[in-house]
Amino acid sequence: MSTQGLRTEEFTVNMGPHHPSTHGVCRFVLTMDGEVIIKAEPVIGYLHRALEKICENRTWPQCIPVMDRFEYCTGMSTNMVFALAVEKLAAVEIPERAQYLRVIMLELNRIASHLIWYGTTALDLGAITPFLYAFREREDILDLFEMTCGQRLTYNYIRIGGVAKDIPPEFVPKCKKFLAEFDQRVDDYEGLLTENPIFIARNKNVGVLSKEMAVAYAVSGPSLRASGVRHDLRRDDPYGIYDRFQFNIPVFHNGDCYDRYKVRMQEMRESAKIVRQALEQMPEGDITARISAAFKAKAGEVYSRIENSRGEMGVYIQADGKSKKPMRVRMRGGSYNQLQVMPEIVKGHKIADVVAIMASLDIIMPEVDR
Amino acid sequence: MNRDQLIEYISGKFGDKIEPLKTGPVEPVFLLKDNSFLPEFCRTIKSDLTLQMDYLCNLAAVDTGEKFEIVYNVASVEKNIRFDFKLTMPFEGAEVDSVQDIWPAANWYEREMWELYGINIKNHANLTRFLLPDDWNQGNPMRKNWDAPDFIRMPEL
Repeated sequence: MSTQGLRTEEFTVNMGPHHPSTHGVCRFVLTMDGEVIIKAEPVIGYLHRALEKICENRTWPQCIPVMDRFEYCTGMSTNMVFALAVEKLAAVEIPERAQYLRVIMLELNRIASHLIWYGTTALDLGAITPFLYAFREREDILDLFEMTCGQRLTYNYIRIGGVAKDIPPEFVPKCKKFLAEFDQRVDDYEGLLTENPIFIARNKNVGVLSKEMAVAYAVSGPSLRASGVRHDLRRDDPYGIYDRFQFNIPVFHNGDCYDRYKVRMQEMRESAKIVRQALEQMPEGDITARISAAFKAKAGEVYSRIENSRGEMGVYIQADGKSKKPMRVRMRGGSYNQLQVMPEIVKGHKIADVVAIMASLDIIMPEVDR
Repeated sequence: MNRDQLIEYISGKFGDKIEPLKTGPVEPVFLLKDNSFLPEFCRTIKSDLTLQMDYLCNLAAVDTGEKFEIVYNVASVEKNIRFDFKLTMPFEGAEVDSVQDIWPAANWYEREMWELYGINIKNHANLTRFLLPDDWNQGNPMRKNWDAPDFIRMPEL
């Protein structure tokens, strides 16, 4: 039958809101031409918990557990970015040991978060085995966190002025054992996916994000580095003691899903390097500068930012100097901008690619909705 | 470029249209004296070859209890510079120009600001419901004078 004279028309497909690809609750309204997407509109807000408003009614130290809920895959980073902001505003000196403990926890948390990303990405693309491998190692990291602060997800560990508790004596040997095996584990992960023809077919040249567009939309972290921008806040705007460690910043240039995958895989190895150095150099001593519960920040404003596993995580705080509570806490997560750029890069792809692209950008919704 | 050089450079470039503030202990903060100067200011700092502020990190509205402040945290990926600038405006008829055409990232930040603070954004492409439910009719929840119906304020410690 000839298609001549047949009329085609666009139609709308609703994708979500219930876990379109295991990253939280997000909905896409897709305008399709046959199987090809011509317009995508993310609909967000399903996980909006008004965390910024909640923070305005709490004292500064009470905000730390709220921050945990902001981005629960990397609770340590959220604690860190808020503590850092308040410390900048109040000019608090952090003891050396606390600085090292922070770096160890942040980097272990980055590995744990990348492992979730690795597992769920493979799961989104139809492979179940990598998920089981990734969660095996993630479990080891969560055990380390649990023995340190008693929590596995919302840590409330990095506090204003230092950290909540010192590590128990069994932490260091267990962590070293984990690190000794970890490089081999990453080889195993790569063995499952990197050369896998199905994985390559689904990811190569899919969701290409150009360098210019990535910067214009304020995309950050591994997604930015996969587009060829060498930008890592651990090096470019060093916070804490990151300027003391030797590590590489992996950069790739195609900006497609496959490059984003490769950046994250290499970052896990680099994070392990940093933890090894930190364990070597860590001195004995105090772990906190002891901030009182009735602590008042000086009047002023600060935007602090750190390199989280999903990109630039920032907190803007403003204090009036009279109250014990913040005047304003504005949270900025990497996923927010990564999701905002998605409609631009899914154009011309098929529905199944939306899942692959969303997975490769490592979007999680609590960070978007707050 | 360090903090003092940056303050000097920007003050020299824009003269009395902006004012360096002392509120930022780390990065410099500037106040734009005239809100209608915003688009030109943003375009200039983006195209200026010394600054190249190509990256909008964050955009926050603040209700200080007396007025609105809108704070732009901008950075340059190319030159590795960061500073903040802000505008102030009264609650009545609060309105600001969109900077979407300069930094596309501003789109969602401005939409959020419009929804949660009730600040109107001029020339915005898509001011529609964002974080709140579609049938929301209870005002702008991030304003200081807004409390949730069942909210009990904690006493000051």
